[in-house]
Amino acid sequence: MAMEFWLLPYQNGKDKTAVTAISNDPTTTWSRSELMAVELAKRLRNDDVTVMGTASAIPQIACRLAQLTHAPDLYSIAGGTCSVNPHLAPVVPSCGDYDLLRADTSLSLNDVVLLEGRADVLTVFFAGGLQIDAYGNCNLVSVGEWAHPMLRGPGTVGLPFLSRVGRILIYTQSHNPRTFVEKVDFVGGPGFLRGPADWKAAELPGGGPQLVVTPLCTMGFDPDTLRMRLETVHPGVEVEKVRAATGFDLIIPDSVPTTPEPTAEHLSILRALDTNGLLKGK
Amino acid sequence: MSKVVPLSEAVERYVPEGVGLVTVGGMHLHNNPMALVREIVRQNRKIKRLLTSPCGALNAELLIAAGIIDEIATSYVGFEHIGLAPCFRRSVESGTLKVLECDEAYITHGLYAGAGGLPFMALPKGIEFTDIPNVNKEYYSFTTDPFTGNRVAVGAPLKPDVALLHAYQADKNGNAVIAGAQFVDRYMALASKTVLLQVERIVSTEEISKHPQGTTIPGFLVHAVIEAPGGCYPTASHGAYEFDEKHIVEYMNMAKDDDGARNYIKQFITGFTEEQYLQKAAGRIAELRYGDGVLAASLSERKG
Repeated sequence: MAMEFWLLPYQNGKDKTAVTAISNDPTTTWSRSELMAVELAKRLRNDDVTVMGTASAIPQIACRLAQLTHAPDLYSIAGGTCSVNPHLAPVVPSCGDYDLLRADTSLSLNDVVLLEGRADVLTVFFAGGLQIDAYGNCNLVSVGEWAHPMLRGPGTVGLPFLSRVGRILIYTQSHNPRTFVEKVDFVGGPGFLRGPADWKAAELPGGGPQLVVTPLCTMGFDPDTLRMRLETVHPGVEVEKVRAATGFDLIIPDSVPTTPEPTAEHLSILRALDTNGLLKGK
Repeated sequence: MSKVVPLSEAVERYVPEGVGLVTVGGMHLHNNPMALVREIVRQNRKIKRLLTSPCGALNAELLIAAGIIDEIATSYVGFEHIGLAPCFRRSVESGTLKVLECDEAYITHGLYAGAGGLPFMALPKGIEFTDIPNVNKEYYSFTTDPFTGNRVAVGAPLKPDVALLHAYQADKNGNAVIAGAQFVDRYMALASKTVLLQVERIVSTEEISKHPQGTTIPGFLVHAVIEAPGGCYPTASHGAYEFDEKHIVEYMNMAKDDDGARNYIKQFITGFTEEQYLQKAAGRIAELRYGDGVLAASLSERKG
């Protein structure tokens, strides 16, 4: 592959400095999106190399939060611009932003696609979909029949990479029966396919979906059936509400703890990163 | 030899009516060659098939809104955090636009194969567990890996007739600097038969040759250089200005139905020359501009 040169350094001229200080925002109430970012951050490890794609403000912030707390050596790649460890504060909503080139280094898109194919370097991919099914398969293409869709989505972009990445962390702002379905209408991002037999036979290099974070709850996957299982409900959310908002038979353990609230430290870091307020009010 | 031509002439000369495969550069709302796109709309040039980068945005949406493309090969058309692209969505749902469903890796590898004369590209295991190869048999197929005997997915080479691209600056010969992210624009240039390049500014060859490593598109691949300062607006031009979210929202509101989309095109595109368009947009572009002259300074201060 040709080398990509980045002769032009990031030179924005605007005052967008990396986070060095703790925010002095004293507010301790938190938004659903802030809680989601904290939930994702907690699952990240110090030796992770993460990739995220389109409209990825929440995972972007989650990775920065992890770097600034328990995972200082984590690498994160903003798919699109393909910069590595963006330093940016405020965090920007577009994954292709010029501002993201304020970073440790940057790859080309071709490089990132190659590394996705290689399957043993990138450890975490943040996924989502118009539809997410009981086995964690994701669909961004079409609702209804592909040839005659009731809803045409934007397209699948890099979701086929789910089959090759160590851990898939799914997040969505929509927890309702239209999003959480028994079976996606179009598989763009493979999860545990149609269950244990399928998954075993496929012998995919990836580790499959591990986590699903929504505004209502945090879910994992049952190790035997590979179906989605409720882990915790967010503060103020009843288990019944989650059950009703999920369009398939969600596994619900006898005892479901409440998701811990973000700590004061989490919140002060989040607010320092997100001065544009992308996570506020949701 | 100077390849600098006026925008209208570049489209007249290099984008023949009914052209087969046109690829359009930029990704999401960044580095979309909108001056070229708008001129194609003005000249109402019909395009058989459009190929986007892994994430098309207004570059594809406006051509769809104008009703001048029959088919689109893409892995995404939308406005990222802002929302879905209304005309893309409506045209596919109503069946007036045929989609050649792709994924990001295939578009990237397919352009590489097209650039290198590779008969096809073997794809990493995984794509066969999606529905994409089922619905796009023209670009995806399967064969036997001669080394292992395993079944392997393969992708067809992508060889566009015409590439519409944006770069920050170029000399008159077409040696060009892409500021910021290159996305797959370089591979579009490498794979396409004809390359039309719009730039924020044309500089001297002496200036360009100070930075050979940063000048990632060589002039011999480029057929026409068009000076179009502000020409990515309302999308971002890396190194120059940010995208105009307000205008994108205005477009989305107007394009909620076909009549609205036609009104937008009349009101913002076909009613003006590109020069007039950019004059009208100049104030807004100035507001969106990155720090004045910062990029220029960084270029001239660097020693090759």
